[in-house]
Amino acid sequence: MAKNRLSRILSRVVDIKPGEERIALLLFSYFFLITAPFMIIKSVRDGMYLDELGADMLPYAYATALLVGLVVSFHSKLQAKISRKLLILSSLAFFILTAVLFFLLFPKVSKGWTWLPLIYWIWANVFVVVIVTQFWMVVNDVFNPREAKRLIGFFGSGGILGGIVGGVLAWQFAKPNQSYKLLLFVLALLAACTVCVWAIFSWLKRSQWVMSGGGQKPGARSQEPQQAGFKACLNTVRMDSYLKLLAAVVTLTGIVSTLIDWQSKRVFEHWPTVEKNLTAFFGKFNAGLLLFSLIFQILMTSNLIKRFGIRLPLMIYPAILLLCSMGIAGLPILLFAIAIKGSDKSLSYSVNQSARELLYIPVAPEKKYKAKAFIDMFLNRFSKASVGVILLGVFLVVPLRPDRPYLRVQNLRVQIVSLVSACFIFVWIFLNLKVSKEYVSTVKEKLGREWERGDRIVDRAMDVETAKLVFDALESKNRSPDLYAMHLYDLLKKDKLTPEIKKLVGYESDEIRVASLGVLMEAEESPWTVHPDEELPPEVLQKEIREIMELDSYHQLMNGFADKVIQEKGQDAETAKMELAKAISLMDAGSPLAGRLDELLRDESSLVGRYAMEAAAKFKAREHVPLLIRKLADPSTREDARAALEKYGAKIIGMLGDYLEDPAEPPAVREAVTSVLAGIGTPDVAEFLLQALAGGQEELQSDLIDALDKIRSRTPNLPVSVEAVRMLIVKEVVHYTHEKKPSAVINIFKLLGLVYSHEDIFRAYQNIQVRTKDSVAYALELLDYTIEKEMRDLIFPVLEDFTAANKTV
Amino acid sequence: MIINKREKNSVVIFDIEGEIKRSDITDVTLHQLVKDQLETGKKHILLNFEKVEFIDSFGVGEILASYISTHNLGGKLKLARISKKLFLIFQVTMLTKVLDIVEDEETALQGFFKD
Repeated sequence: MAKNRLSRILSRVVDIKPGEERIALLLFSYFFLITAPFMIIKSVRDGMYLDELGADMLPYAYATALLVGLVVSFHSKLQAKISRKLLILSSLAFFILTAVLFFLLFPKVSKGWTWLPLIYWIWANVFVVVIVTQFWMVVNDVFNPREAKRLIGFFGSGGILGGIVGGVLAWQFAKPNQSYKLLLFVLALLAACTVCVWAIFSWLKRSQWVMSGGGQKPGARSQEPQQAGFKACLNTVRMDSYLKLLAAVVTLTGIVSTLIDWQSKRVFEHWPTVEKNLTAFFGKFNAGLLLFSLIFQILMTSNLIKRFGIRLPLMIYPAILLLCSMGIAGLPILLFAIAIKGSDKSLSYSVNQSARELLYIPVAPEKKYKAKAFIDMFLNRFSKASVGVILLGVFLVVPLRPDRPYLRVQNLRVQIVSLVSACFIFVWIFLNLKVSKEYVSTVKEKLGREWERGDRIVDRAMDVETAKLVFDALESKNRSPDLYAMHLYDLLKKDKLTPEIKKLVGYESDEIRVASLGVLMEAEESPWTVHPDEELPPEVLQKEIREIMELDSYHQLMNGFADKVIQEKGQDAETAKMELAKAISLMDAGSPLAGRLDELLRDESSLVGRYAMEAAAKFKAREHVPLLIRKLADPSTREDARAALEKYGAKIIGMLGDYLEDPAEPPAVREAVTSVLAGIGTPDVAEFLLQALAGGQEELQSDLIDALDKIRSRTPNLPVSVEAVRMLIVKEVVHYTHEKKPSAVINIFKLLGLVYSHEDIFRAYQNIQVRTKDSVAYALELLDYTIEKEMRDLIFPVLEDFTAANKTV
Repeated sequence: MIINKREKNSVVIFDIEGEIKRSDITDVTLHQLVKDQLETGKKHILLNFEKVEFIDSFGVGEILASYISTHNLGGKLKLARISKKLFLIFQVTMLTKVLDIVEDEETALQGFFKD
């Protein structure tokens, strides 16, 4: 009951699925309980540092970020050795103990310990890098990309809310020179966070939650031996082009953000209304900007990411910073300082953080943890440290001199830093474009092709026509020596009488030599059996047979033979007609005997029909087409007729179309005609099939779509109208909504494959069919990036309903 | 030709008796029987060839069409207990490159879930 109420309340605020309520709320609280203390720690850090050491000493503070690299390395090693739960709980215990220590030592700052704010600065940086990264690791463990994309805005809001609460506490309770007392709040919040983390892991264990990332559970070590030392983490990034791009983006983000941090602090430090209680100002400022972020996060982040994917949200952040950077260069006043710092932090905590975390999701789990450790923990800090060097360079170029007014020099430094920022932002935008493109490729890589089309496998692995000819040759052996000889000649003519086939079809001669062929001796030996090994050389044989078949006397004789056998009934006559039809199939198109084919095609025997159709396929006479189409109705002749008609090619599209569109024709004939058209497969056929579909051939809908899919699989550049396909998809969506038929889902994918990358759509379909939690998520993710919004809005409800109805495993 | 259907561990087994030839066709073809099973969501098909004496080009077409239909839907089709004589012809005509042919039914059934 209570669970249902919780589900109802949450589902109004966030797109949450049943079963996710508790873990989502716990993660929301977890993020809240780490950002609230961090905002207090940060306000104390900035206020104390500027009070005691000043903004000119900030480059050294930034440079200490390098020391954080050592901590990162240690953290990575720990991460590989101990469970996720133990890692996080012991980290929280460490920060609680050290916070107590700082609380006890800060009174000594006024007694000459002016270096203590610098130590505290380092500690605060270690705190944020370790604690926040651990939170996102847990999110990546628990949710797959699709779930994360849906819920990330909700978790992010928890973090922003925590930041606002922390900021307000700092603003309200900070007293000049006694801001360290705010650490008491930090201790209380971290204690609550410890309880929350405990609850998360206990719940995951109790509920046997299926983890994303190959089922690796938080706390469990990877199946593969992990070497998560600094070098291993560095190599993981170095060897992967996608991770290298991510690393470059994070580095540039860090550089620009730190340059902006210095610019704003420079202005705040000496602004008359601010300088008296800097900690309280930072608390108020941080709370205000996070409030703005929260509104932005709720209203915009999830929608932006869902609507536009990753690219646009990744672009918004640097673009706005570029504008603000130009503003503060022109007017280095409090308003612009607040605007640039506010934009940086609000967008960083909302859109950028959410989009960046999504970028990690398609990375394999064994790579992800190492890469995350290196990029987020080390590179991010390294970028800040490098700003220390950049700023010292700027200070050297524009030094403080007694003959120049202090504020004028500082303003000039702010302007130069703006120009440097602008240069970095341009590169950053370029790399963001690249990384968002690579993201799609990485998602595609995740989606393995589960199976290949059966027809492609058959086409690649064997020659179906020759195989059939061999089987018929063997079958003919017990029926008629002449028919058997004609089959051998056919194989020879087609250059298919390989030594293996020769041995197989002429087994008597191999009896003694090849013991393994003894299995074929079951058939009674016939005295007239042809011995292929003893025949004339192939070229001589072919020449002689061709010459005989060109003789007028031969045709006269054969015509007489035809007159006789065509009228006859019985098994012997059937064999004779088969021989006649086979003989005609071996002749050239202009042969006078071809005129007798019409009669043979009308014969009731499927065996006679088989050879007659073979001959008809060779001569391609239009008058035989109706007879061939008639044979599509009979299951025993359908496949031979289909193959024969297919060989006619595009010239009979119109005739086939007439049959297809005639409702009086038997359904089996119309279905087979569709299959013939698919086999012909020209762009004209595709256009005709699309028109037939649009014309409302309801009973043939699936066959027509299947035919189009076959054509598209062989012709990647097939021109198909998106609008026509959209209309057909609408029909299938209606079918699915009313009848819940899985065939409608298959049809939707086949139709999508006509206008988007057939390969990508086929992969997505296969992964949805595989039905594991991750395969479905990655498939939907790929579709998200492959198809247009209008089409997405049309089919996603169907796919989500279909995957929910066909439970994932 | 007689075709009997049975099921074991969610695998549909067709026991075929006689010759798969165009001259010996039943009301419903083998391919149609396979397609009917695929439509009901059954994707593991086993053709028991123990009592199949011979096949002609029509039979080859039926088997390959069944294989393609099954495979295109992500299913699997296997042949079991095929005679040595037929297996040799399958080898020479390269049908063994495409079709999954196993010795007995038990091996086939295990194979469906192992692959």
